[in-house]
Amino acid sequence: MPRIAGVDIPDKKKIRYALRYIFGIGPKFADDILSEADIDTDRRSGELTDQEVSQIASIIDSGYIIEGALRRQVQQHIQRLKDIRSYRGERHRRGLPVRGQRTRCNARTRKGKRKTVAGKKGVRGH
Amino acid sequence: MSRSLKKGPFVDEKLYRKVQRLNVANQHVPVKTWARACTIVPEFVGHTFQVHNGKIFTDVFCTEDMVGHKLGEFSPTRLFRGHSNKKEGIRKS
Repeated sequence: MPRIAGVDIPDKKKIRYALRYIFGIGPKFADDILSEADIDTDRRSGELTDQEVSQIASIIDSGYIIEGALRRQVQQHIQRLKDIRSYRGERHRRGLPVRGQRTRCNARTRKGKRKTVAGKKGVRGH
Repeated sequence: MSRSLKKGPFVDEKLYRKVQRLNVANQHVPVKTWARACTIVPEFVGHTFQVHNGKIFTDVFCTEDMVGHKLGEFSPTRLFRGHSNKKEGIRKS
């Protein structure tokens, strides 16, 4: 089982797809890395030699932001929006959709589980 | 969709000239403006704008970090005071 970039241990899959298990590496970067390392994209990641694995690791190290560093970077960008008190930052702070989606209904991904308000419907006495 | 690069950022012509005048005079007075769609450009840094939100003018002090954002992003147009609780809601109606 090859270990690339710390904890990621993709195995048995083609290296092209296995690399995507690393946070920050998607279809494009996976292909970019493999062409730079001159490794056939269809080979299984378990079949790679130690040397090839370390070659991939060094390429990732030199030119790609992944895993913890990337997560931190994303957090920093969000923190920046909050710090300058922009509309987007305010939405992040409140846990509401940031990009102008409707919130009258849906938006459950951001808002989390429904918080039912008892007696909201029909109880109002006129 | 983002704006065409060919056009460059949208900057309110009149507001920009006003800020340039202030820069030349080395003055820093609050500028009242309705141009919420105007992008904050580096020349604006250090100035205070009073950005209209449809009702009042919100003070926006431009910092380096705000460059590239629009003035309107810092002047919220909606005010959410929280939901009324059950009892209050009944009393109102």
